[in-house]
Amino acid sequence: MEADELLVLVAGGDQKAFEDLYGLVSGPVFGLVRRVVRDPAQSEEVAQEVLLELWRSAGRFDPARGSALSWILTLAHRRAVDRVRSVRAAGEREEREARRAHHPAFDQVTEEVEAGLEREWVRHCLDRLTALQRQSVTLAYYDGYTYREVAERLSLPLGTVKTRMRDGLTRLRECLGGAA
Amino acid sequence: MNALRRLLRREDLHSLAAPYALDSLDAGERRRFEKHLDRCEHCAGEVRALSEDAVRLAWSTAAPAPAALRERVLAAVRATPQEPVPGRQAPGRERTPQLPPHVWGTQPPPARTRTPRVRPLLVPLTTATAAAALVVAGLFAVQAGRTQDRLDAERARANEIAQVLAAPDARATSSKDARGRGIAVIASATEGRAVVTLSGYDSPPGGRVHQLWLMRPDVQPRSLGLLAGDTPLIATGLDASAMSLAVTVEPGGGSAQPTSQPIAQLALKSVGFGE
Repeated sequence: MEADELLVLVAGGDQKAFEDLYGLVSGPVFGLVRRVVRDPAQSEEVAQEVLLELWRSAGRFDPARGSALSWILTLAHRRAVDRVRSVRAAGEREEREARRAHHPAFDQVTEEVEAGLEREWVRHCLDRLTALQRQSVTLAYYDGYTYREVAERLSLPLGTVKTRMRDGLTRLRECLGGAA
Repeated sequence: MNALRRLLRREDLHSLAAPYALDSLDAGERRRFEKHLDRCEHCAGEVRALSEDAVRLAWSTAAPAPAALRERVLAAVRATPQEPVPGRQAPGRERTPQLPPHVWGTQPPPARTRTPRVRPLLVPLTTATAAAALVVAGLFAVQAGRTQDRLDAERARANEIAQVLAAPDARATSSKDARGRGIAVIASATEGRAVVTLSGYDSPPGGRVHQLWLMRPDVQPRSLGLLAGDTPLIATGLDASAMSLAVTVEPGGGSAQPTSQPIAQLALKSVGFGE
């Protein structure tokens, strides 16, 4: 069954449907959270919160507004970003060190993952953006920086960063469209 | 002048659609932009499209979740009530779903057959034990009659209960008398904690109360607290010597030691204590 159908069953309190849904989405949810949060223990914590929130709030999913997977990954991304920002606020330096320490392990693990063609295609399409478009998009989405922080890091005016983000996403859509 | 300023301000807000889709607004801007989204259909459509693009970025990051995560999530699901379907809940203090309107919907969706209503929690609990069902039913009874002021407290309690259930050694047991009245417990011996629910008993008359006791060999009973109706009570600090639980009827406020015969008792051996 597709995630969309499962989510509707879950909204009705179907625990078996939730187990099936877990099988479908736990990988994407966990992978995304870990990509943003980095720290393995915290990633697990955030992923657990997200997955439990799916159960609690499944009734709020509205198929008219998009696919279940988009809904779920948007939720996961929001929670991951919130966590990484509060961690950063708590101690910018510690966070940097933790990230350095975890980075190699992270790369190693992702390499083992069989995300397949889609992953290759996303990378391919990211490569086709201009450097500034790519950096603006990835610093925001994968690293959880606000567009103000992105502007600071890239030494660009705020307006330019906003435009690069929009152009980057639009170009990504054009490129990815072929593989959808 | 004012119109121009408004126009400029709106233009400025429009330009936040892409940063918003990437979750790269800070909390204050995010709130302002979502307020704007409520009123701007054009922006909502644009944000929806850009968000779909952003989600494509997520797919390249998929990674297998740790096996232990599955057990923890599924255990928590068994113990956690679902939120009422939007549109039927009191507005205002609902805090959990801080999600973009394009995801949650700015308006509560109309009641429709597509979304099944939240059924009483006993129905989906097919995999849980009878004891777990009792505990969760008690929890839900409280939630159904909750006031807004008590919402946070109930949430906190639900979290605590979920924690007990998520313990790797969490086990459940219950006992019932001929009239269907009983006591149920979900306990974790390693955490020394238990969730206890009394069901089927009327409130004692004359301001008297139900008091829960921990019975151990060669020691006086220790009070674990007062049981209010069928609201779950979370008992902590249980050690391996915990033999059984007992409930007595006591004067208002409870007693230091039991002053009457137990109305309900439950041995804890099957949930990992009393070894």
